[in-house]
Amino acid sequence: MKRLRNKYIKDERVKFISHLDLLRVFQRALRRADIKVAFSQGFNPHPKISFGPALIVGATTEGDYMDIDLEEDISPEEFRKKMNKVLPPGIEIVESYEVELNDALSTKIKGAEYILQVNVKKSIKYIQNKIEEFMRKDIIEIEKESKSGRKMVNIRPCVLELKVIEEAEDYLKFYIKLKLGEGAPNPLHLLKALNDYLGNLFDIDSYKLHRKNMILE
Amino acid sequence: MNNLKDKIDALLMKVSKPTRYTGGELNSSIKNPEEVKVRFAFAFPDVYEVGMSHLGLRILYHLLNKREDVYCERVFAPWLDMEKLMRENDIPLFSLETKTPLDKFDFIGFTLQYELSYTNVINMLNLAGIPILSRDRKGLPFVIAGGPCAYNPAPLSDVIDFFVMGEGEEVINEIIDAYIDWKKRGGEREEFLQIVSQIKGVYVPKYYIEVYNQDGTIKEIRTIKKGVPEKVKKRIVKDFENVYHPEEQIVPFMDIVHDRIMLEIFRGCTRGCRFCQAGMIYRPVREKSKEKILDLADKLIKSTGYEEISLTSLSTCDYSQIEDLVKKLIEKYKDKGVGVSIPSTRVDAVSINLLKEIQKVRKTGLTLAPEAGTQRLRDVINKGITEEDILEATKEAFSAGWTNVKLYFMIGLPTEMMEDVEGIVDLAYKIVDNYKEVKGNVKNLKVTISTSTFVPKPFTPFQWTAQDSIKDIMEKQDLLKKKLKSKVLKYNWHNPYMSFLEAVISRGDRKVGKAIIKAWEKGCKFDGWEEYFNYDKWEKAFKEAGVNPHFYANRERSLEEVFPWDVIDVGVDKRYLIREYKKSQEGRITPDCRLYCTGCGVKDFDEGVVCFEAPQK
Ligand code: SF4
Repeated sequence: MKRLRNKYIKDERVKFISHLDLLRVFQRALRRADIKVAFSQGFNPHPKISFGPALIVGATTEGDYMDIDLEEDISPEEFRKKMNKVLPPGIEIVESYEVELNDALSTKIKGAEYILQVNVKKSIKYIQNKIEEFMRKDIIEIEKESKSGRKMVNIRPCVLELKVIEEAEDYLKFYIKLKLGEGAPNPLHLLKALNDYLGNLFDIDSYKLHRKNMILE
Repeated sequence: MNNLKDKIDALLMKVSKPTRYTGGELNSSIKNPEEVKVRFAFAFPDVYEVGMSHLGLRILYHLLNKREDVYCERVFAPWLDMEKLMRENDIPLFSLETKTPLDKFDFIGFTLQYELSYTNVINMLNLAGIPILSRDRKGLPFVIAGGPCAYNPAPLSDVIDFFVMGEGEEVINEIIDAYIDWKKRGGEREEFLQIVSQIKGVYVPKYYIEVYNQDGTIKEIRTIKKGVPEKVKKRIVKDFENVYHPEEQIVPFMDIVHDRIMLEIFRGCTRGCRFCQAGMIYRPVREKSKEKILDLADKLIKSTGYEEISLTSLSTCDYSQIEDLVKKLIEKYKDKGVGVSIPSTRVDAVSINLLKEIQKVRKTGLTLAPEAGTQRLRDVINKGITEEDILEATKEAFSAGWTNVKLYFMIGLPTEMMEDVEGIVDLAYKIVDNYKEVKGNVKNLKVTISTSTFVPKPFTPFQWTAQDSIKDIMEKQDLLKKKLKSKVLKYNWHNPYMSFLEAVISRGDRKVGKAIIKAWEKGCKFDGWEEYFNYDKWEKAFKEAGVNPHFYANRERSLEEVFPWDVIDVGVDKRYLIREYKKSQEGRITPDCRLYCTGCGVKDFDEGVVCFEAPQK
């Protein structure tokens, strides 16, 4: 058995497929490529495929990771080529390498970089300054729903970077770097907090989100 | 860039299950619309996950796209959240593949699988900005329809430009060829309708009228155009072994109702259940050879990567070499983790053995359909199984480890009495006892009993019978609700108002069609979905259209009555249906015609129609 770590792209064409759907896409692609994947033991065996943190439905990525355990001895390069031949248009493995079997992807992923574009309702003056102000806060609270009800959580420690990279008349484009992991916010949480701070200037439902990269340890 | 596509994308950020509308699935067809002569929109009047589970769509989609001069795309009924956004943002109904508005197509082809999807047909046309009435359309596209419900074309006669009767594999190509020829000549719309009315299997409703008697029944169906056939004969595929079957299949991203390979191993059914429309209209039985099936299975598994292959037909266990076929498939693909499934289970030892085989790869449920609770009633409907069969099969299954059984029954069957309904209860408890006998207790056992309500259908021996009143049905359901109370039993029933509406439309005439349009105007759609079904609106629609729905659902017809669907010839002789109807009243059964021909007439329907003969063992 060997474990391959794969970096993949999910582009505009397939941005609406969910995380669960994506798992099925890879399972079926493995069968089409005739590659033997390893199965877990036990009552209900399932293929040993694990993904990094889920991407929001509607977002694209060029830097997500996924581990697959294989029964057969196949080189990462051959694996990548075989899979790309059978994956549906819009999904592509761009990098593949072998890692130790005890190397768990979930503990390796530390953060992610995003490009987020949002429509604005009216143009905002001195936006760069305002963002800097926003980032100087020690506490950025968002409301999160959990089993025990609603509660406020501070997401500031998870926000590593936030800056405007493009200003247009009707939209803004941000670069965002976030910590990933249990309970970490996604870029939309941050966008909402920023929108509240700026006094509701964004058309919060009209956004485009792209994950540039996942930061591995 | 395609501007509409961007607008659609923006909406998709806000709807549930956006992949219903994106297209782009593996094996979907990508072509340049500019390079084809005919653009065909295959329209399914229900939501994506239902429509994509339909074999007919899958066959015709790939069949049409095999032609270089045709691009067939798909369109489904958008779910209510999406429809709302589309209407608010002026987005017309579009095809999944290229996001082209429907009115840019040459054909919109609806498949009619269920009467309660008719309001969706109208709604989809309206969403596309296409006039809902055939007579108001000018230029393109042509709105056509096929599928089992099309055999009674009357209710949608004002909406559909022409219907295609029978198996579409051959006739669709003839229609397309005629179209290309007509378009090249720059012909008039009317001229094309005249041309297709001469193609065998095509029914152009505007060339026929219903003439009524005083009492509202039909006096005659008159042709009002010279040269159109008095009766439209359905099309039958004669060489089923070699008829086109796709070697690839679209693999949806989202979970659909039947998310697996569908391989059609035979068509038709010889059992002759008297309530079953499919068993009559898809005659005769035609099998594919085992070799052909194995070859197709291999190609389909390679091209889709699916984890399950379903051998489909009306009664899969009746395939002449079913045991051998299932064993071979399992042997060959179990290492790849591909399971086999058979959609309908015969109640006997052979099928239980088959399920045991299948279980080796993938867990499978046990579903049996006794249909009626007493032997008397099972004889009436010609469901050729006995109580012993059922008990033996379940016992066998329990010994083999099954703990869940699903049983399907119908209530409201002709001649049914309360005793017959009680019979369902008796049978359920006998099965529970059975389990106790095998296992010593009833721990883990779960018996699910589902009843649907009998709907008399055109072209069946019961086309003359009355449907039970809603009140009677409710009484029967109440009895079952009361008596099927136990920890191990679960009872499911069907909304009786929906079954009533189904009965009205399935034997409806053109007057019923007016009521359907009224119902749509009142906002009816997705009538097949209980949460959206609104009977009050339908009641008002009937009233406004001057239609008494009980006349259609709850009235017993005389043998002489002219039916709206008598203009169609499905191959099964009316005399045979009458014979079967009379036998049912006497409680006499008719054997499976694999044993010997029971004279339904389809053999002599058309040249080259050959009924299946079992290979000599
Ligand atoms: S013609 Fe005879 S053998 Fe053929 S389907 Fe009818 S009853 Fe069966």
